[in-house]
Amino acid sequence: MASNVKQYKAIGEELWKGRSEKINAELFALTYGALVVQLIQDYEDYDEVNKQLEKMGYNIGTRLIEDFLARSGMGRCSDFREVGEVIAKVGFKTFLNITPSVVHALPPSPTPNRQSNPTPSQPSFTLTLDENPLTEFVELPEDALEGGLWFSNVLCGVIRGALEMVQMQVQAEFVSDVLRGDESSEIRVKLVKYLEEEVPVGDD
Amino acid sequence: MSHHLFLLSPSDTPLYSLSHQSTKQGASASSPLGANLPTWSTSPFSGRMSALAGAPNTAMQSAGLGGGAAGGQDRLNALRMVANASLDVLENVVFRDNGMYLKGLDKFNEWTVSAFVTAGNMKFILLHEGKNDDGIRGFFFEVWELYVKTMANPFHSAHTPIRSPVFDHRVRASAKRYL
Repeated sequence: MASNVKQYKAIGEELWKGRSEKINAELFALTYGALVVQLIQDYEDYDEVNKQLEKMGYNIGTRLIEDFLARSGMGRCSDFREVGEVIAKVGFKTFLNITPSVVHALPPSPTPNRQSNPTPSQPSFTLTLDENPLTEFVELPEDALEGGLWFSNVLCGVIRGALEMVQMQVQAEFVSDVLRGDESSEIRVKLVKYLEEEVPVGDD
Repeated sequence: MSHHLFLLSPSDTPLYSLSHQSTKQGASASSPLGANLPTWSTSPFSGRMSALAGAPNTAMQSAGLGGGAAGGQDRLNALRMVANASLDVLENVVFRDNGMYLKGLDKFNEWTVSAFVTAGNMKFILLHEGKNDDGIRGFFFEVWELYVKTMANPFHSAHTPIRSPVFDHRVRASAKRYL
C-alpha cells in the first residue's frame, strides 16, 4: 500500500508540473473571494450560500473528472480507501497543488455481534487541508462566523460531483475550518452507495 | 513620547486609530500627554462633533485634565480635531507633491502631523512629538503593507472600519519597533 501512496504522489507531482496553463494564485483567491461575497450579498442567508457553493462545486466536479481521467489515465480504484488516496494525492495536487492528508474510517469487518457496532456501515475518509489557496487573505467577519458559513464549500461540491460521475454517491462536508477558528480544515467524505448504471431518462 | 495613528478611507471616514506610547527616547518632562491614554479605540466618530463642542480648546495644555478617563477622552478628541484640521493642508500638498510620505505636514503646539497617502487615496495620519523621520517612514511603510493585506480580504471594502485583531496586533508590534 505504501508504494501505491508514493506512486500517487509521483503521478500528482508530474501532472502538476506538466500543466502548461497555470493561474496566479492571488488572482484565483481574489476571484473566489469576490464570488463568495457576492453570493452573500445576493442570498443574505449563510446556509443558502453554503448550498449554492456546493451546487457550483458539483457542476465543476462533473466536468473536472473528465479532465482528470484524461490526463492521469488512472484506472478504476479498487476500494473506497484508494479513492481517498487518489483524490488527496493526485486530484488535489493536480488542480490546486496541495496535498491534503487522508485519514480513513472504514467500517469494521462484519462480526456476528451486530448490536455493539456503533460505527456506520458507510466507509469514509477525512481530508485535512493544511493550506488552502482559496482562503489566502480571508478573515471572516462576525456574522459570517455566527451564520455558519463554510467558505471553501465549493470543494465539497467538486468531490461529490466528480465521484458521482464515476458511479459513487457520496456526502462531502466540512467538519472544521481554520477560518472559523478551528485547529484545522477538514472535509469528511462518506460513501452513500455505489450507483448502478442507469438508462438515461428518455430512452425507451 | 506618544504617537497617534489614524487611518482614513478615501472618503475621509476613519477606519482605525491607535495610540502608542513610545519607550524609546525620553519624553520631555513637561508634556502632559505622558499620562496613560486609552490603548486603541475604534469608537465611532459620530460622537466626535458633540465631544469637540464640549472639549475646551486648551485641553492639551492644561495639565489638570490629565489622568481622568474623561480628560483622556477629551484629549483624544482634541487630537482627532488636530488630525482632521491637517487634512486640508494634506490635500494642498498632495496636489503639488507626488510622494507618498509627507513629513512635518502641520504643527499644533508641540504636535507634528505627518501623513502617508497611498495611491488609492488612503490616508495614514500620525500625530507625534519631536522628530523621528526615518522611524516614522519605516512605520508608515509597514502599516501600508499590513493595510494591503487587509484590503485583500474579500469581506473588506475601502470603507469598512478595520476591526481585525490580527491587524491591530501587527500594527502595535510595528509601532514598538519603529517609534
